[in-house]
Parts: sequence; structure tokens; C-alpha cells
Amino acid sequence: MDIGFSPEETRFREECRDWLHANVPAERRPPDAIDAIDFDKAWQRRLFDAGWAGINWPSEYGGRGLSIVQQVIWLEEYARAGAPWIGANFVGINHGGPTLIINASEEQKAYHLPRILKGEAIWCQGFSEPGAGSDLAGIRTKARIEGDELVVNGSKIWTSFAHVADWQELVLRTEEGSERHKGLSWVICDMHVPGITIRPIRKISGQTEFAEVFYDDVRIPLANVVGGLGNGWKVAMSTLSFERGTGFIADQVAQSREIEDLIEKARARGLIKDMRIAESLAQMRSEVAALRAMTYRNISEVMRTGQPGPEASVIRLFTSELGQRLERMAVLLMGEEMIDFAYGDDNGISDYLRGFAQTIAGGSAQIQRDIIGERLLGLPKSR
Amino acid sequence: MDLTPSEDQTAYQTATADWCRDHMPLEEARSRRPGLWSSLTEMGWIGMTAPDTGLDHATEALVFAELGRFLAPVALLSSAVGARWTGSGDKAAIALPAPDGSARLIDADGAASAVGLFDGELGSFALPGSLAAAPSLDLSATVARLDALPSIARVNDPRAVLHLRLLSAAFAIGAADAARDMATGYAKIREQFGRPIGWFQAIKHICADMAVRAAVARSQLYYAACALDAGESDAAFHVAAAKRLADQAAIDNGRANIQVHGGIGMTDEAAPHLCLKRAHLLQFIAPADMTQLLA
Repeated sequence: MDIGFSPEETRFREECRDWLHANVPAERRPPDAIDAIDFDKAWQRRLFDAGWAGINWPSEYGGRGLSIVQQVIWLEEYARAGAPWIGANFVGINHGGPTLIINASEEQKAYHLPRILKGEAIWCQGFSEPGAGSDLAGIRTKARIEGDELVVNGSKIWTSFAHVADWQELVLRTEEGSERHKGLSWVICDMHVPGITIRPIRKISGQTEFAEVFYDDVRIPLANVVGGLGNGWKVAMSTLSFERGTGFIADQVAQSREIEDLIEKARARGLIKDMRIAESLAQMRSEVAALRAMTYRNISEVMRTGQPGPEASVIRLFTSELGQRLERMAVLLMGEEMIDFAYGDDNGISDYLRGFAQTIAGGSAQIQRDIIGERLLGLPKSR
Repeated sequence: MDLTPSEDQTAYQTATADWCRDHMPLEEARSRRPGLWSSLTEMGWIGMTAPDTGLDHATEALVFAELGRFLAPVALLSSAVGARWTGSGDKAAIALPAPDGSARLIDADGAASAVGLFDGELGSFALPGSLAAAPSLDLSATVARLDALPSIARVNDPRAVLHLRLLSAAFAIGAADAARDMATGYAKIREQFGRPIGWFQAIKHICADMAVRAAVARSQLYYAACALDAGESDAAFHVAAAKRLADQAAIDNGRANIQVHGGIGMTDEAAPHLCLKRAHLLQFIAPADMTQLLA
């Protein structure tokens, strides 16, 4: 075991640092998805043009084809430089794109991956439904096959960036009468076709980043099915295991910066003399260090075996709960200023409120604990 | 950068665990087989840290986590660290000095010296011929009192303290692992309401949290060991963080293990309390202080 980086990796880190130093925008990212879309697209394009998009994506689809270690180095420097959240590009870059890389046909990859990397195509997710949350296999949105098209009816919910998205990763029931994990398909849906209605939903933080999406005889070419008809569950799980593996590295490394900011703030306000605050900061600083160590361990596992280890689900759970504790501390340090919060404000309070999603989205903390109990520890399945 | 054990390191880990299972099962922690200490010496777990072996801290940490999993004698920590920094090759007790100038000596039976932290420095001293040892909270170790400390030979190298802190963190992670595995194993076989209790989320989630704590602490242990090996400037912080998380994991998992066992967990006869009591002892050995964590 060692924590040293090769001369090549160290050089790469310096390149990242230099470019970010010169190019991170001075203005803040606007908080609401609609306002931010131009910002997000422009920033992604700038990253792409300079060669910083898709660092570990295959080079034939516009990526750099570098190692996952270099991807992590980039993300560490990205966080250290205070570069903006990738915002509306999140689903394409961290979710849809990686799923396509694993499961899609050559044509699908050649068309979509470069567009995602260039910030030309915004993606959203269509997994959850009003009746299928933690129990994702309860999906009822269905499609019948007519000629070479799927005709879709139903609705999806909690779809982040639906109202600004061009494409959606949509999981549908394509086999009449099928149940649970069978008969589902993972489909690329064009968000601009007729029959799609989007109802934005306001979050407790005031933003309308997510929405409910209704499908009324929406026609999707059968060529947009990824991984074969009826294989949707398998394809969706490859994405979720990616999420549990390396999809949250950006969040993990961002926490290293957050804890240092909090310690600095607590010092500046003299609050570090409060033993409870000092205790809590010391605790979280230890945990953030451990999270980085766990991330490195996980990446080492990927480098060695090609896939994340079984402890990947532990990282996902730990990251989300630690993230919430950091945000809780941020508002604690803020004090009564918290009362002045109004919708539209983009600060530690909106981060705190928005942060509740961390233990809900992409498999709630309770589902993650089931997974850890059953898959890692071998306890009997409850469901 | 690679934070997974190498093939050689895995071989060390496996060999240690195999030996422990056969010769030093956890259930026997309170009364070890005669001659255990000399077997431990022969197996090289005290000498492995000596300067001439050239073994890295990462490998030591892996081995000590395995030893800790079987609640190996705590004097292994002081003896191994003593072998590295004071040149002693024999059993050394752990000294825990108290503010009034006295000290507790842990696991001093048959030890000629003691190793401990004195004003933040590693130090050692020779033990008097006879000590009145009494049982301690950790049923695998005795405690003796010294009213006044003799003169102490101090080790003028901050890495010595970090070494003791790292190895005791590894021991604590072993205890945390043991508690997790004991609770999980029991949850798979104990039935209530017609099913194994591990089927119920209330129990399953306790076990999941035990797994999280153990994995978090172990990851930081690996990083800290590597930072110490590489002579990184922030090695002291990483070792302190590893110690803090390891102690917490050991104590919290120790507590949870008793809860998962229910009434059986309350009995002296069953093993869960052994893990918890070990965890509470370890928290007093080279603890990490706040200034190191917030430096």
C-alpha cells in the first residue's frame, strides 16, 4: 500500500491546478436550474475545449481516456479551486454517460457521449414514480410497441433538471403484464417530442430543480433502447452500482474543502473555543480524511479488479450522512442569520435544506443499510 | 497510489489470522493457553517492528488489526513499539501515567519494562521486581499500580508516539471487526417471530452501521500507516484521526454487539462484553488529542 503519486500523475495535478487557477469563473453559479442552464452549458464547453471533460471516458467518444486516478486528481483540484458545481450536466456526466459507456451500442455512444461532454445535451433521470420510490421495481409507466416505435404512457417524479433537459434516461415497462424486475427497458427519451408535460416541483430550499413528468402517447424509436428490450433492470443497476462506486467522488472530495472552510469560519468567529463545536469539527475532519482514504481504497480496487469493491455501498451512505452533518454545522456557525433566509437565497441555508436529498435520492439511507446488511454482511433479505 | 493490500501484505494478514484462530481464539481472551506469550515472540509479532526487519507500518497495521480481532494481549503493542524504539526485545507492559505522578501498568506479568506516553513523548522504564497485579476491566489484562514513576528513558523522536498510536488504532479496528462479525453471525442464527432476527431492518441496520464504522476506521488506518511510511508532513494528523475513529468504532460496535445479542449479551459467559471492555481499555492508550486533529 502507498499513497504516493507517480511523476506523471503529479505533473497532471499541476496542469489541473494551473488551468483551474486561470479559468475558474469569478461569478457564482446562479442557483436555480432555469437561470443556471446557460452558465452550466458554457462552463462544460470550456472544460471540454480545454480537455478537462470526461477525463476517464474513452477517447473515441470525446473523453481523454486517462485513468480513474487522474479523474480523482482532477476532481480534488477542482474542489480545491472552488470551481462551480456542474449543475444541470450532473445526470449526463455522472449517470447517463457512464451507463451508456457500459451498455449502449456504438451508434448510441457515438451520438450521445460527445454531446454530453461538450455540454450540448442536458440529461435527466426518469426512474422514480409516485408508486415506485425505494421500491423501484414497482415501475408502472409503460410502453407498447408499434412498428419500430415505443408508445409511452405514465409519469415519472423527482426528475432533476427535467425542464431544461434534452434527453432522459427512462426506465419503462415494455412487456405487457410483466411484474417487478422483469419486462423493464432502459430507454433514451427525447424530451422535446410531443406528449411530454413537465410540472416543476419546488424544493424546501426554494429551487425548482426537480419536476414531475407526464407521458401521453409519447413516441420513442425502438433504436433508443439501451442494452436490449426487457433488460432495463440490469442496465439501471449498472448505473446504480456506478453511483455507489465512483459516481460521487466529486462530492467526496468537495467535503475536504467544506470542512476546512468550516474550521476557518469557526476560528474567525471565535466559536472554536466552544468545546462542543471544536469536538464536532475535529470529528468531521477525521471523518472527511477517512472518506478520502475510503475513496482511494475504492479506486485502488477499481484499478486492480475493474470494479468497485463490496464496500462501495458503505461509501455512498457515509458520504451522504457526513455531507448533512457538515451542512448542519455550517448553519450552526451562521447563528440567527438563518432566520433571514428567503426563497431565492443561495447560501449555506439553501445547501442545508437541499442536502436532505442526499439520504433520499438514488436509494435512501435506509435502502443503503439494507444493501450493506444483505450484500456485504450476508444477512437474510427482508424484501 | 494503491490503498489495497499487496499480495505479500495479504499473505501476512492471512497467516496471522490463521495462526490466531488456532492458538488464540477470542473466546479464550480471559485465560490464555500457557506459553502463549513465548509463542507470540517465536512467531515474530514483537520483533517484526524492530528496525532491522525493514517492514513498513502499513504491513504492521494490517497484522495488528488481525491480532486485535482476536483480542491478542495488549502488551503486544508496548512490546512491539518498545522493540522498535527502545531496543528491548522482551515483553514490555503499557504504562498509563496519572496526573498525580503515579501510573497504571497494564499487562505487566512477566514484563521487565514498561512503555508509555510521558508529556506527549514515548518513554520506557525498568519495572521493579515485584508488582501486585489486580484484575482489570479488560479481563485479558491485569492492572498494577506504581505510586511513583522511576526515571524514564525518553525517545526523542515524534514518530515513536505515532507508532504506538497507529498500532493501538489497528488493535481497536480488530476489536470493531470482531464485534461486527459476532453480532452479524448471531443475527443470522437467532430466531424470533419465526425468522432470524437479522431479517428485521431494526437489527439489520444496527449491523450495517457497525460495518460502516469498521470500514471508515480501517480506511483511515491504511492511509495513516502509509503517511507515516512516506514521512508525510501531515502524518501526525492522519494517525490521530485513525486513532479517534478506531476507538469510536470499537466502542460503538462493542455496545451494539451487546444489544444485538439481547439477554445473552448481558452474560459474563458470552463473548460480546470482551470486545467492549477491550475497546474501553484501548481508548486510554496513546489517545489523540484535539490540538492534533484541529492543527
